Amino acid sequence: MRHSVNRPPTPDAAEDEEKEPTLQEIINIKLIESGEKERLMELLRERLTECGWKDEMKALCRAFIKKKGRNNVTVDDLVHVITPKGRASVPDPVKADLLQRIRTFLNSVI
Amino acid sequence: MSASREDNTSPDAQLSSHFFGDLLDSIIVDIASECHRIAKLGLDRNLEDEEEELRRSTQARVRAADPSNSGETNSKYVVDIFGQTHPAVANEIFDCMNCGRSIMAGRFAPHLEKCMGKGRKARLKAARSSTTAQNRYSRGSPASTYSPYSNSTSTNRLSNGSTGVAGEDLSNGTSEEP
Repeated sequence: MRHSVNRPPTPDAAEDEEKEPTLQEIINIKLIESGEKERLMELLRERLTECGWKDEMKALCRAFIKKKGRNNVTVDDLVHVITPKGRASVPDPVKADLLQRIRTFLNSVI
Repeated sequence: MSASREDNTSPDAQLSSHFFGDLLDSIIVDIASECHRIAKLGLDRNLEDEEEELRRSTQARVRAADPSNSGETNSKYVVDIFGQTHPAVANEIFDCMNCGRSIMAGRFAPHLEKCMGKGRKARLKAARSSTTAQNRYSRGSPASTYSPYSNSTSTNRLSNGSTGVAGEDLSNGTSEEP
């Protein structure tokens, strides 16, 4: 059989097993499997809606859409518009509460 | 990565922050996706209305600023959504069902005013010919009572016609005949 010199070797199943999942990945899996990630997400969503953060983000989106014209906007554009402001404007108590819950979970799992 | 259980150690804090950021990013994508959907489907009424208003006001400003446009000529050249132009006064001709004359559609309303008795001449005519109180315009026949109003009525049928009626109602209170 002729092998092309430039073609990389087909990865074997054995090779995949050598890569160990990182701690992050392990915890992520545990978060999802236990349902905690879903609960935390719902909690965060609720908190952010209550304090008006979601409305602020929607207003930013609408302003951007009005400026650019609604047929020229992609989801990606909107994500880039609200991510910096969004991350910076989460109220401190909300952030602290969620971080605390995550830490509690981490401690219970490790 | 250390498996320390202390809250102050940075890897642990980093980890929590990482997951918090993860949750936040998902929520942000959801919001962006929702706004995108609303915009694309045109569900945001405010957005459309504002756009439409903006467009119309700029159009109106252009029209107003243009000195070559006068009100009358403008209406002749306005085009409707089917691309048709219409003359300022409707020009179809038909027969009046009251008096039987041939009337132009655009002049029908003022014609009816005279013909059916809202105008001064018709009122006087009706008052003289019918002695009963059935005709509501026959209340007061002397023209002198109405002279301040009826003068203006005869010159301009359309806008002062209503003033004439109002004046008539006022003076009727005093000069009503049984």
